This record gives sequence, structure tokens and C-alpha cells, in this order.
Amino acid sequence: MASPAIILIGTFFLVPLIMTFWISLHNWPLLGKHRFIGLDNYQRALNDPAFGTALKFTLLYTLVITPILFVLGLGLAMLVRRKVRAAGVFQSIFFMPVCIGFAAGSFLWLYLGQSQIGPLFDLLRRAGIVDRDSNIFAGMWTALLMVIAMVTWKVVGLQMLLLLSGLQSIPDEVVEAARIDGAGRWQSFLHITLPLLRPTLALVLVFSVAGSLLAFDQFFIMTGGGPSNQTITAVYSIYRNSFISFKLGYGAALSVFLMAILAVVSAFQMLLLRNTDHH
Amino acid sequence: MRNRVLGVAAVVASLAMLATACGGSEGGDAGASSDAEPTGTISIWARDSQQGFMSELVKLYNANHKVQAKVTIIPASSFVQKLGTAASSGSGPDVSSIDLVYAPYFASAGALEDITEMADALPYKDALSPSHRRLSAYEDVTYALPFTAEASAMYYNKDLFKKAGLDPEKPPTTFAEIRDAAKKIRALGSDYYGFTFAGACGGCNVFEFTPHVWASGGDVLSEDSKTATLDSPQVTDALQLYRDMWTDGSIPSAAKNDAGTQQIPLFTSGKVGMTPLGAFAIPTMEKAKVNFGVTPIPGKDGSEGSFAGGDVISVITGTKNEAGAKDFVKWATEEEAQSFLAKNGSVPVRTDLVEKIYNTQGEHYAVFGRLMGIGKTPYSVVENPIFNDNNGPWIKMINDAVFGGDIAAAQANGQKAAQALIDGG
Repeated sequence: MASPAIILIGTFFLVPLIMTFWISLHNWPLLGKHRFIGLDNYQRALNDPAFGTALKFTLLYTLVITPILFVLGLGLAMLVRRKVRAAGVFQSIFFMPVCIGFAAGSFLWLYLGQSQIGPLFDLLRRAGIVDRDSNIFAGMWTALLMVIAMVTWKVVGLQMLLLLSGLQSIPDEVVEAARIDGAGRWQSFLHITLPLLRPTLALVLVFSVAGSLLAFDQFFIMTGGGPSNQTITAVYSIYRNSFISFKLGYGAALSVFLMAILAVVSAFQMLLLRNTDHH
Repeated sequence: MRNRVLGVAAVVASLAMLATACGGSEGGDAGASSDAEPTGTISIWARDSQQGFMSELVKLYNANHKVQAKVTIIPASSFVQKLGTAASSGSGPDVSSIDLVYAPYFASAGALEDITEMADALPYKDALSPSHRRLSAYEDVTYALPFTAEASAMYYNKDLFKKAGLDPEKPPTTFAEIRDAAKKIRALGSDYYGFTFAGACGGCNVFEFTPHVWASGGDVLSEDSKTATLDSPQVTDALQLYRDMWTDGSIPSAAKNDAGTQQIPLFTSGKVGMTPLGAFAIPTMEKAKVNFGVTPIPGKDGSEGSFAGGDVISVITGTKNEAGAKDFVKWATEEEAQSFLAKNGSVPVRTDLVEKIYNTQGEHYAVFGRLMGIGKTPYSVVENPIFNDNNGPWIKMINDAVFGGDIAAAQANGQKAAQALIDGG
């Protein structure tokens, strides 16, 4: 019964994974002969300032966006959980951007925020937030803010939906009982809802953090890594090594490296959220 | 999704990125072609930016040749990777059209067939775009023939020139005149700008900025292409011009992160005085009803420069129909094919035909037709990471210098990074 799944995982995960690892042990140009060089690529990765900077920026981005997405997602979920018709309408509204591709969303926001021609830029200018001659995408922090705004708009609906399903699996009686025992809204949220939501929280956080650590499209399109290459993420850096410098071996090594980081971070999160059970 | 993204982003940029080489491939003098007429079928790869004319061109060929060709269109964004992988595994096409700047890379990697004999036997070989011929050769062997061409020049808005009290029939011919004209147009009002360029697009600026350097007598790579010369004084002068226009307020802030997509809309809005672009922009400009002129990109004290861009066409290593593949490659440079291409957006690669089949389409075309013959292209197997990469040393130097202001430091950093890429192969 499990064999189709094993075949799928084997074809689309294990085989490519092993091949990536194999390539990473070589000096493997896009064209021409490759030669085995052992762990040289990994050694180089550890001393590569460009990849180091990219990793740091990726972590920064993850640290900033994860709480934003989580708090907003949970807030929206609390708002739309009620079983009235309007709640359903708002659910759909909040969820809609999720159906738009990352690339399309990025282009849309790139246009919205563009100096001189973007409507969002125009609004911000009229509100006195930006200057007529300024350019949102020309500063690292403002560019990052634009990307974060786009990503939030794009994925917060999905987090809302996941958290909503978690919320709805909490039996009403439990909350009711707490109320009868005299718990206030905030208290019951803190001591009843959040703990019971933990499995969903783990899922949402792991998804969200992994997605942020693998960020590529949004930066590739909206900032192009600029200004002055300050917004190049880890995957962006891998892309550049592999397909601009044509160094497939080195790109593969960086991919393996990033995968290891991702595995550690995810495992750590799972562990953290499971352990609290015992307190 | 990545491909789609790149594809869209590449629409304007890819056109502007075309590059070529100049110089000469020398060779023997054997007679090319036909002992017996070649037959069979051949497959041809081209990029999606060529989709408009490629299938029609092949139809034209198929109509009166025994060899029957079939085109496959590959997304521009993944073309190099696809052709590279296919050629190295022996599953490549028989013929491929290749962006000129990549020709040295593919030749150096052994993906292209030696066609020196055939190329040298062409009666019009000396009339082929010199820059294309230079890039088609690697270590004195010819691996490709010129196919399509593109040149760069400065577009300027005649109405704005008139309004600002400048003579619309006398566009600027030196750096000082460009700066002065830009300032005067800027003075027309807060919405008006004198000049714009794609400040975050490496390919655009190798196409549109290097001509300033060449026209000033400098270059960005040494003759043997082993040394980067991004720190040369001619580069300094050109950067200084852009920097001055930026501090004058003549350049819109949109230029800072323009990856090549805003230059044309800004210019066609009718509020920007000058911008350097290629012949590919003519139809868009005409449609936008801007009263524009085209003038060569000048050097510091005059003279003129242009990038020679476009494609070369090659027989791919491992072809099973070499005779047929060669026949198509040769035909692609002949008058029938070149006339067709000239009517479909490409500058012809034949300097002997350009007057007859291209310049006749209008005065703007004539400027580009003439510039094609003097165009240059940086020759390097690492052209892509140095110049076309939007995070590479070239565009970072320009962006840092023009918008940051420390030109010397930007040049020093750019020079160091570019040289490291050359030395690292």
C-alpha cells in the first residue's frame, strides 16, 4: 500500500538528494568535464563571505517576518472563527491572495511601490511618508519592508486557515468550563486555547520558518538582490553560483549546507513545542 | 515558477543584453559547401525572444531546400543552462542561435563545431559584423557565424529639446553637452527629467554604458581579455557624467532600481529627455507617439560608440546531420535570410547589405545600421558573471558610483571583483 508513496519520495526526493550530494563533491561546471574534489566545496562554503552575508540576511528576514505572520495569522483566525456568514466572507477575502503565485504577487507589489508610477507609492507620498523623489526599493530597509508587506499579504491567509482549523478542533465545552470557573478572555486564551493549539502551532511555525529560510522569488523579483547586493538570500546565492557562474558543484554544496541548517532549525522547533508538554 | 519569473523579467532586458564580439577570425580558403546538396532534417534551438521571426524564417528556408529544419523555442532565462546540459549529454540540437556574449563560453567548453573552413570561404566574410566575428572565434578557430545584430544609441525627445531651448536637430555629442541638455530639460518642471538609465541592470549597461567608454578611447577589458580595466580613467569619466547628472537632479530616482523595465515607459511618458537603448525600442517608441530622435552615444569629447549585440548561429557538437546544419548556418547569413530579418526587428549582420535592406526603413534605422559596423563587445568566457549578472561587479560599480558618489572606491571594488572572476575562470 505504501509503495506508491515510496516510489514518489524516492524519485522526487531521495534520488535528487543523493545526486545533489554527489555533485557537491565535484568541481562540476555546467559544460565540460567534472572532477572529484572531495569536501573542497564545503570548505570553500565555510569561508565564502558572500554566502555568509546571504545567510545572515536570510536569518534576519526570517526573524522579522515569522512573528509578524504568526501574530497576524492568529489574530485573523480569532476574528473569523465565529460561525456567522460574515466570518465566511472575510475568510475568503483574507485567503484570496494565497491563490496568487509568488511571482505574480511580487511583480504586482513591485509595480505598486514603484517611484513615480506606483499607486501605493503615490498614496504614501500623499500621506507624507515618502518623498516625491525617493525610491522605496533603493534602501535596504525600505525594500525589505516592501517585501515583507507583500509576503504578509500573500501568505497570512494560509496561516489563518491552518490556525483556524486548530482553533475549531478545540471543544467548546473546555472553553465554556473555564469561563464558568471564572477565567477571563485573556486568561482562557493564554491557558486553554494556546496550549491546546500547540500541534497546529508547531505545524505553522515549521512551515513558516522553512518557507522564509528558502526565500528566493520575492527578492529576485522585487529587489533583484539590491541595493548594492544587500538583499541576497541563501537560495538566491545558490542560484547565482549555479546558474550565473555555472558552478554546479559549488551550488550543490551550498544547497546541502542550507538543507542541513533547515533540518536543524525544524528539528529544534519541533522539539521545543513538544517539550512544553511536560511542564 | 522560477522560469516564468525570469521570462517576464527578461522581456525587455534580454533584448538589451544581446552582445557580440569584434575583431577578426582569420582562416584558410577552402571552398565551402556543396559537393552534393545536403538532405535530411535538422533541429534548431532559439530563444523565446526570437519567437516572432524564427519559425517564419525556417519556413522560408524549408520552402526551397532539401534539408528540412524544425525550430524549438527555449525560454531565454534558462537557455544557457539548457543548451549547456543538452550539448554535454549529446542530446542537443543540430543548430542553435546563441546570444553573442555566450559564444566564447560555449566554444571554450567544446559545445560548438569548428566551422572555420566554411566561414572563410564565404565571399562576403569581411563584410560580416566585425564584433560578431571576433566573438565567434576562440583560439583562432571559428565556431559560429553572425546571425542577428543589435546596436545601441541614445534616444532623445525632440519636443522636450525644443521646449528647453535646445536644437532638436543637434543632439549632444560630448559629455558636457549631455549634462547641459539634461539640466535644461530638468528645469522644465518637477515632473521632467533630463536622462534615465537602468541602474540595476548589468546587461543593459554593458549595452548602453560601455559605448561611452569605447567612444572615449577606453575599454572595460584588455585586448587579450585577461585583465579587467574597470578602473581606467575613461570609465571614471563616464561614471562622473552620470554622477553629475544624478546630483544635478536630472535623473529620476526610479533609475536606482531599474532592472531594465522602466527605461522605456519613462521615456515614452514624454517627460524624460534622453535615454540610451537599442534598435529594438524603435517600434515601441513609434507606437507611443513620442517625437524622438536617435543619435550615437558619445565619448567624453565627441566620437561615437556602440555595443554590437545580437546572436551568432552555430552547429552544435554531436550533430547527426552536419552537412544540413552547416547549410542552414550558411544560409542564415545570406541575403534572403538577412532581408527577412531586417524587416523583422534585427539589424542585419552584413555591412554590405545594411544600406539596401535596412537603412531604407527610416532615419532611425539608418543610425543603428551604421552603428552596427563600429560596435564592440567585451570578449570573455566570464562575460556573464562580470557584466550581465545583475548582482555582479559591473552593475554594482555603476550603481555605487552614480548613486553613492565614491567613484574611486566603487571602481576599485569593481575592478577587484571582476579580476577575481577572470582569474578564477
